[in-house]
Amino acid sequence: MFPMLTLLSMFYYICLRRRCRSGSRGESLGGRRALVDLGQRSTLPVTVEVEQYAKEVLDFSSHYGSENSMSYTMWNLAGVPNVYPSSGDFTQTAVFRTYGRWWDQCVSSPAQIRRTPPSFHSRDFLELAFEEQVYPTAVEVLETYHPGAVVQILACSLNPFTQNPPADVRWEVLWSGEPTKAMNPQARQFSPTIRPINFPTNLLRLEVNSSMLEYYTELDAVVLRGVRERPILALYKMPMIDISDLSDGEEDLSETGGALCCRSAAADHKHSLGNGYFDKLPYELIQVIISHLAVPDLCRLGQCCKLLQQHCSDPLQYVQLSLQPYWSRLNDASLAHLQPRCTLLQRLNMSWCGNRGAVTAAGFCSFIRSCGMSLVCLELSCCHFLNEMCLEVICATCPRLQELDLSSCDRLQPQAFTHIAKLAHLQRLILYRTKIEHIHNHIFYHESFIEDYDVVVSLLAARCRGLVSLDLWRCRNLSERGLAELVAGCAGLEELDLGWCSSLHSSSGCIQLLCRRLKRLRKLFLTANRTVCDNDLEQLAANCPSLEHLDILGEDINTLTSTFKNAVMINPLWH
Amino acid sequence: MLSVLSYGRLVARAVIGGLSQTDSRDYSLVSASFGYGKDFRKGIFKKGMCYGDDACFIARHRSADVLGVADGVGGWRDYGVDPSQFSATLMRTCERLVKEGRFVPSNPVGILTTSYYELLQNKVPLLGSSTACIVVLDRQSHRLHTANLGDSGFLVVRGGEVVHRSDEQQHYFNTPFQLSIAPPEAEGSVLSDSPEAADSSSFDVQLGDIILTATDGLFDNMPDYMILQELKKLKYTNYESIQQTAKSIAEQAHVLAYDPNYMSPFAQFANDNGLNVRGGKPDDITVLLSIVAEYTD
Repeated sequence: MFPMLTLLSMFYYICLRRRCRSGSRGESLGGRRALVDLGQRSTLPVTVEVEQYAKEVLDFSSHYGSENSMSYTMWNLAGVPNVYPSSGDFTQTAVFRTYGRWWDQCVSSPAQIRRTPPSFHSRDFLELAFEEQVYPTAVEVLETYHPGAVVQILACSLNPFTQNPPADVRWEVLWSGEPTKAMNPQARQFSPTIRPINFPTNLLRLEVNSSMLEYYTELDAVVLRGVRERPILALYKMPMIDISDLSDGEEDLSETGGALCCRSAAADHKHSLGNGYFDKLPYELIQVIISHLAVPDLCRLGQCCKLLQQHCSDPLQYVQLSLQPYWSRLNDASLAHLQPRCTLLQRLNMSWCGNRGAVTAAGFCSFIRSCGMSLVCLELSCCHFLNEMCLEVICATCPRLQELDLSSCDRLQPQAFTHIAKLAHLQRLILYRTKIEHIHNHIFYHESFIEDYDVVVSLLAARCRGLVSLDLWRCRNLSERGLAELVAGCAGLEELDLGWCSSLHSSSGCIQLLCRRLKRLRKLFLTANRTVCDNDLEQLAANCPSLEHLDILGEDINTLTSTFKNAVMINPLWH
Repeated sequence: MLSVLSYGRLVARAVIGGLSQTDSRDYSLVSASFGYGKDFRKGIFKKGMCYGDDACFIARHRSADVLGVADGVGGWRDYGVDPSQFSATLMRTCERLVKEGRFVPSNPVGILTTSYYELLQNKVPLLGSSTACIVVLDRQSHRLHTANLGDSGFLVVRGGEVVHRSDEQQHYFNTPFQLSIAPPEAEGSVLSDSPEAADSSSFDVQLGDIILTATDGLFDNMPDYMILQELKKLKYTNYESIQQTAKSIAEQAHVLAYDPNYMSPFAQFANDNGLNVRGGKPDDITVLLSIVAEYTD
């Protein structure tokens, strides 16, 4: 009896285990079985669409408001809309620092680096984190004033709230377009058709370009709609392969000398006819031809054959290098691969690159050490991997540096900036939204955490007599005494931004003094200064014949245009 | 002997500690508002509560409950400026600050300062001035932190008696301390006090305490004993009863304000200063009534 029972139970047990195992094996076969079943069912499972507002603003390139304020700052983009569907200029919206063509047309704006692809329109960006990861089906941007600036929407595979970030972070473009200007400046919900992607995301990036707009664009909120389960459609439909996407241009670079050429053997022997007509062209001509290619294409071309590899590795092709359009793909390996080619580098734009661990400080330093000797212009806006060691290396290796842009590098500690004093030839320095606390020789500042701007300005007046452009945006403590010293010392100033300097009052005569002294003034911003009066404008018209850009708060545009005949752009607040 | 005593003390402490469970619970304020504008105008509908030139707000945050009142100075009307704009925007900005957590519960003056600074961030700043009174209940520490600039104020009533009250801040008769933004040409001649000049205080509160925050329209027309009489009628701590009591207090003040023979506190104060007047003081009345209760979500 009992042996029978035990035998039976053993038998039963073994059968049960086998059934379990085969059951799980069936599941691990994956989606295929599920799909097969699906085809036979009459109704599809209901997918729930999740709608979320942004939870947090993680990063951005600029904003109009002061750093600790709620007005016109990027923090307003998080959460539910404050203003939409009303239209107009409200402080509870997110506004970028610039708009239109003003800043591009100034004397102090940097020359555009060659080879910037014409499809790269982005001038500013912001990154938003949402609560839950979803496969996006729609992204809605609620714009409340002068819409039309969004040019690209990207999604990231990384969950910014995770404790253990994965090594490989991918960004996919959900939508991209040209900068536009909407027919009327009223509020609208912008919801472009986005591409499906095959990973869930809760980190979105919006890139904007407001150069066609007549005033600041203002954003209120961003909505991410998506589904939790991977949509079935994605398994059937292959995403259209776009030639321009094949570009893991920078990743391919890490295959050093990976020549895919089938004629390499022949080319080694016969110096002449291995490359067809290319062998007949002079070296310089090929160089001129390939100088029109964008950087990823240049790198890919170098993989065709040894001759082109030689051409594409020629340091003369890499005298000006803009890596900003490829920010999502640049990493230490790419820098290491570019290193041997960039020894003659003079202008380098790495703005926005290398964040979230893609580029390390060590990788960047080694790149600068080998390529930075001739650097004249270095743009490192929003590069959060920078630390004090990087600045030290830059200032030690690049003695001829004339232009340095460190805007929004807000992880740099104040003492890191002491190294900048070693740069003896610096002409343009941008420290917008950095933590600088102390002042040095021949440096000029954007808004920062300095307490007393009068001191800064008097130092500038004493040491930088050749100063051409000065941006004192939101320097609240600047007084008329400091301004008087400045105009006395730096009489050659052509551009002066005194926006939101609330301590400057016209009644003290400081603006009239400014007009009389700065004869070469081409750009003057007195944004939000309510004390500017007619006398000031008359003095300005009488003494500054070269004035092109003027930003004042006022009511009557007609008198202004008649007073300033040469002015190209006037920005009174009320039209 | 000594050890017995210390032992006894330990035991007693343990027992009392076990019995008193109130310390760990969070408190909250159940609040309602009511008011009357001076000229019966409700004005244009604005977000938040506005009564004439007065404005108020009630905001909740994870860590604190915050109330505020602001009394717009009516004199700006003579210069073509709408006085209700300044007070309403000030209160709305304070509310936004609280909702976004940009404040420290123990520093209500900071809320005023930040809010005033935010008003200046408008490209064309609002003109006008107002008093302000902010009351913050820190949920966990059970402390009430207050800031008062001007002649609005608050009362804390426990067991039928006033246990805390704010002091009026006046430069001279009928000219309270005020936050203001003036047109640039008038900046020297307009009274403008810094938010840092606000009086602040902090004290513990208990469950069942009644906090009455109001503008001077109430305090100038109703003396304390009348207010306390009305508050005695408040039996329950639900929103409807509080709303009803706030309404009856405001109504009574409103009636008294227009009584020409009534010796209001305002008239009393005027008499003390040598002005021979009687009657109530017609003014905007705003009443915010709150009870300290346990926190429920």
